[in-house]
Amino acid sequence: MEIKTFTVADLQLALLSEDFWLTKTLPITKQRALSFCQNPRAEKNDPVLLVAYQDARVVGYLGILPDKIFFNNADHKLGWLTGWWVDPSIATNGTGVILLYKALNTYRERIGVSGGSREARKVLDASQKFIALNPLKGIDIRFRFNATKTMLRKFSSMKIFRVGFKVADVLLDEIVNLRSFSWERRNSIRQRLTFEYVSTVDEETGRFIEQHYHHDLTRKGKADLNWIMTCPWIVSAPQKDAASKRYYFSSVSARYYYLGVKVYAQNNEMVGFLLLNVRDDRMSVAYAHFEGRHAPTIAAAAVYHALAMDVSTLVLYDERLVKSVAGLHCPCWSTQSISRGFFLSKAFADIPMADCRLHGGDGDFAFY
Amino acid sequence: MAMNDKITQMLFNVLDELNQLRPREEHLKKDLGTPLAGGSGRLDSAGLINLIVLTEQKTAQELGSPILLTDDRTMSQINEVFRTLGSLADYIHLLLNEKRHG
Repeated sequence: MEIKTFTVADLQLALLSEDFWLTKTLPITKQRALSFCQNPRAEKNDPVLLVAYQDARVVGYLGILPDKIFFNNADHKLGWLTGWWVDPSIATNGTGVILLYKALNTYRERIGVSGGSREARKVLDASQKFIALNPLKGIDIRFRFNATKTMLRKFSSMKIFRVGFKVADVLLDEIVNLRSFSWERRNSIRQRLTFEYVSTVDEETGRFIEQHYHHDLTRKGKADLNWIMTCPWIVSAPQKDAASKRYYFSSVSARYYYLGVKVYAQNNEMVGFLLLNVRDDRMSVAYAHFEGRHAPTIAAAAVYHALAMDVSTLVLYDERLVKSVAGLHCPCWSTQSISRGFFLSKAFADIPMADCRLHGGDGDFAFY
Repeated sequence: MAMNDKITQMLFNVLDELNQLRPREEHLKKDLGTPLAGGSGRLDSAGLINLIVLTEQKTAQELGSPILLTDDRTMSQINEVFRTLGSLADYIHLLLNEKRHG
């Protein structure tokens, strides 16, 4: 077995080559590779992809997302592990272990992990190289009942009642629409707030973010958020393409986009910025910047946009927004507590986490 | 006790601890021929990492000499080093010898 390390520069060359994309299993999609190459926090010689080959066959891979974290008045480089896969037919030949230690060695044990499968967490625990940060506690707000999806997922034998479920959904959606209309009027969102939508972060927003990101662990600024918004890993497409069938992780979705929302109060003062990520019928707030006193207003703006964009679920991880949602009495069917786990290698054991804030989009979460 | 015997005993102690983390039917036999990783191996990624970590710890504790089993050199020959308990013992012997002779 051979492990090849691809730096940003190597990946740029791979994008131009034909051979790299001929393997039966792809270690990365072109879309993702392009994004890796545009990462403003990556340097040309940063390793970003480890690929295990056996007889010219891809049998494992691990992506690494170079980033910086900020604490103790300094920035510290690290790599977030992302897209870690090993061919299940060779699960006992140590490929996953080699990839993990290769990443740790390459980044001088300065590695972060956001989320990850149960198997991946087991491996991280076993290595004794990582500390788990306090999980980011969030909330799933469900606006649509979606009986068809819920029932058929639980009881596939009830497919014959599909039409009945669909009719029920249409009726239930009408109830939600009425409740939403009344909620909007009650909260007079459009009277109290105005919005400006941006597909990239403009100067005003960049300055606004810089005023509010001092407690952020990753301090994502204008260039970073522009990169996320303009170089997604997932493409909106009606169906899976040839490449996505050869790549284990997500690469296409029926609906996928980012939207920057600048929130203004009546006096034209900018009071918040939301980076929204919409994937199919789910909207999540990847990054949110505002002053604490405006939390209820910004939470209302997030709910308002979820309703306007007709998504089934809104996902929030900002602690202040989560707290504010309860007071909004939003027109939802249910809410559910959720959490996101973050791990950092022990080289970062001295981070004063009480002073550091994580966002829902940190690590590689902004791209899913 | 000869170094080979000390290494073997240390690895048997590693297996005792490793087996405590595994279901009874997946216990590894205390035998130098026991396959670990590779084609006939029984350790998945988490199992192999547990073995590596325990071996590094026990080598330092019981043989008084810390070794590193996670460097690029070891990783590049992982299937040879961790093929059986015996091949792991040989590799530890090699590393200890290299340390002794500078």
